[in-house]
Amino acid sequence: MGQTLTLRRRQSLIGWLFIVPASVLIFVFYFYPIVRALWLSFQTGVGVNLQYAGLFNYQRLLSDNVFKLSLTNVFIFLIIQVPVMLTLALILASLLNDPTLKFRGFFRTALFLPCATSLVSYAIVFRSLFALDGFVNYLLTALSIIDKPINWGGNPWTARFLIIIALTWRWTGYNMVFYLAGLQNIDTSIYEAALIDGASGVTRFTKITVPLLKPIILLTTIMSTNGTLQLFDETMNLTNGGPANATLSVSQYIYRLSFQYSPRFGYAAAISFVIFILVAILALIQMRVGDTR
Amino acid sequence: MTRRRFYRFLKYLFLFIAALLSLFPLVWMAVSATNASVDVVTGRLLPGKHLIENYRKLSQQANVKLAMVNSFRNSIVATFASLVVCSIAGYGFEIYHDKGKDFLMRLLLLSMMIPFAAIMIPLFMMVGKFGLLNTTTAFVLPTISTAFLIFLFRQSARYFPSEIIEAARLEGMSELGIFFGMYVPIMRSTYATAGIITFMNAWNNYLWPLIIMQSKDSIVMPILISNLIAGYVTDYGVVMLGVTLSVLPTIIIFLLLQNSFAEGILSSMK
Amino acid sequence: MRKNLIITLALVLVIALSGLASAVEITVWCWDPLFNIYAMEEAAKIYKEINPDVTINIVETPWDDVQTKLTTAVMAGQLNTLPDILLMQDNALIKNVTNFPGVFYDLTDSGIDFSQFADFKVRLTTVDGRNYGVPFDNGTAITALRTDILEQAGYTLEDFTDITWSEFIEMGKDILAKTGYPLLSSVSESPDHVMVTLQSARSWMFDENGNVFIANNEVLKETVEIYVELVKSGVLVQVPDWEQYIGTINRGTVAGTINGCWIIGTIVAQPDQAGKWGITNVPRLDKAPNATNYSNQGGSSWMVLNHSPNKDVAVDFLKHTFAGSVELYETILPSSGALATYLPAGDSDVYNEPHPFFGGQPIYADITEFAAKVPAVTYGVYNYEARDAVAVAISQVLAGWDINSALREAEETVKFLMGP
Repeated sequence: MGQTLTLRRRQSLIGWLFIVPASVLIFVFYFYPIVRALWLSFQTGVGVNLQYAGLFNYQRLLSDNVFKLSLTNVFIFLIIQVPVMLTLALILASLLNDPTLKFRGFFRTALFLPCATSLVSYAIVFRSLFALDGFVNYLLTALSIIDKPINWGGNPWTARFLIIIALTWRWTGYNMVFYLAGLQNIDTSIYEAALIDGASGVTRFTKITVPLLKPIILLTTIMSTNGTLQLFDETMNLTNGGPANATLSVSQYIYRLSFQYSPRFGYAAAISFVIFILVAILALIQMRVGDTR
Repeated sequence: MTRRRFYRFLKYLFLFIAALLSLFPLVWMAVSATNASVDVVTGRLLPGKHLIENYRKLSQQANVKLAMVNSFRNSIVATFASLVVCSIAGYGFEIYHDKGKDFLMRLLLLSMMIPFAAIMIPLFMMVGKFGLLNTTTAFVLPTISTAFLIFLFRQSARYFPSEIIEAARLEGMSELGIFFGMYVPIMRSTYATAGIITFMNAWNNYLWPLIIMQSKDSIVMPILISNLIAGYVTDYGVVMLGVTLSVLPTIIIFLLLQNSFAEGILSSMK
Repeated sequence: MRKNLIITLALVLVIALSGLASAVEITVWCWDPLFNIYAMEEAAKIYKEINPDVTINIVETPWDDVQTKLTTAVMAGQLNTLPDILLMQDNALIKNVTNFPGVFYDLTDSGIDFSQFADFKVRLTTVDGRNYGVPFDNGTAITALRTDILEQAGYTLEDFTDITWSEFIEMGKDILAKTGYPLLSSVSESPDHVMVTLQSARSWMFDENGNVFIANNEVLKETVEIYVELVKSGVLVQVPDWEQYIGTINRGTVAGTINGCWIIGTIVAQPDQAGKWGITNVPRLDKAPNATNYSNQGGSSWMVLNHSPNKDVAVDFLKHTFAGSVELYETILPSSGALATYLPAGDSDVYNEPHPFFGGQPIYADITEFAAKVPAVTYGVYNYEARDAVAVAISQVLAGWDINSALREAEETVKFLMGP
């Protein structure tokens, strides 16, 4: 008894040694600057003229309509886009995990590539595809789905739809790669047994794939939640937050407040912390639900 | 049987359409790299004859070779350092997990939830004070350890059968020996994924090198691209060639590493 | 004897040291290799003959990146990471000088003769009566038109010169009906068009005291109304982004454009349209009291950083080149189209050359003439905030909002952003 305890202790200690280098780096390069930023969020003023003002910036947020709209926007993206994208990625991963599938390598590469594509070119392509005389409108009119071209960027909901399509296009393959790696870790004999029992493809998917991938699904959910609430590239490059701020993201607003407008770093830091707290709460809930051993 | 076939057909149709949609912008980008600027903005979809001309203009305007070398050096150093540090930590968090480590993991996860813009200025001050401006070290240091990679390896370690560890311990292997000798080879597909993602993130990192790289000699690819689109008149053929070149390394790395996705846990254990 | 030796040694040392000190490197941040960087390189060549010990080290940095790096360095208190000279967008100059006091060198008493530059441009680089920038490129607004399309509908360039907006829209509708071509295109979320029109009537989104002037600004209201009418009548088509805006010009789906004169570089990129373009001044507002046919869009100026150990050299360099060398402007104009706001350069023969792409019109002389008449306004510290808010208001009005309530909301937004 006494010996196992010391052995466990020894292992626990080794465990700490394994995690110390990474943790120290995160404390130095993330937590220390975050604490500095927290301190900044209690200061108010423009440019380098900053004074301590307590919770003033947080109060100011409550009456900031642009901030509220940007928060609403990212939540709309989160609620609609993340579930759609993750489900799609899961389905694609389980289709591609089938060893009898032909052209697996091609499909895998093709589906991954969007997230590697340069933002510059992808923004230009997407905007021209969804232009008034662009390919999408051409296709939809040719198929008689619509009778006149849609001004995608000119209307709040179609612009949001455009962002959702773009996000899904870019990030589905990215998430799929994690699922593929996860699936590789699952013993194939489980599937073989299920096949002998006559389980259908759908049953195998819901009863085996999804439960076994739970650790990775948790990872991708936290990642995507975080990524969506910090969304920047797509709204900046595709719609520039328009029309009338209907696609403005919180991060883009922070960028404007820091680098385009007369800089208000205290206020921008306060907004960052609100996002920080929101993501942390969501992640905590997700960990509670998903991080069981 | 026919129903089965129909499903098979549907499956392939679905995958082909998905692949086509995914590839289109990439193909468009590569095709545009061979066209003149006017053709690019007027939406020409056929390959043109301007590739050499575009390349000549690009190399006149920008030092592509230097930016490529810098980007490669920064990204490879960052990827290797990250994989080592984060995978050991992820393994440690899972295999030796207890209340204290679980709590620390959750705490570390918080670090990725704050926008970079909020911590950029303190980070810049640190790097400036250490006299590290314009160096690979400055580029790499804040990106080595990320909560995301640690978490990825922690979640993957969950698939690592505990019997293997027990057996190895009985054989007298050291803990570090088990990690390098057993975990690393078995988790090859996870390493491949993590490697691709980390390389890509380091390669595409824009804001951080922008503020710490002050000299001409430390230019990296994303900054070179941003230089190309900053003028009154943009040559879109040249831009498309530039972005095509900047995407190639990630594609090559993906192609090199993707075979490890095909190998399951069993095949690597045999 | 020994004394002599010491003196000799000391002299040698002094000479050696001064030799070291005179080899000065001036670092410059600017963007655009075909335009600003090219001009800077030519300036470096000219200065090399005046002061051979000075080298100019140009670090290519796009405008957005200049702003990001500048802000980060100032906020982090690390001014030594900044260059000696940087190029500043005029619409951000007052903002940066005001918010970062002491960072930029006050050029007022530097010996540079600011009366040699176009009046409106000097105004944009002046803060509280002090000069902070050496004016450089010219953003004088022009109406560029496809003369072949005008001809089809029975119009000439002359018909579009010195006209009002209502005349412009009338002819635009007629041309649209006869030829199917809209006269203009613009990027839908960008307020640039409205800004050009606003400045043409010597008005801005702030009053002389720097207070927001949006909700009750009759000129702004008229301007927005005209924009809405242009869109609704089809005389102006909105496109989602800059590439497609350029596409409408290069593809020839519009009969013209209104923008800063730097747009010429884009127009001449399409050789198929050589000889089919002409330029004239911009339409003026019908009702606004100070309406003119001249305005400005874009443009930038050189600034010297106050912390620079070589700021005297940097100033001397600018004085002998961008603020004193007609030769420099004569060199850069033909190959880059970089038009000056340095008035003595306008008398040069190079500026009076006919331009073959524009049917032999001496466009540079014309633009220089327009530049002298551009109304001077002050963009103010909160220019970007106001631009974004007005852009939102334009979208709202186009979506059917009442113009007064849209502008009122814009004013509230800007006031909030300016608040404590």
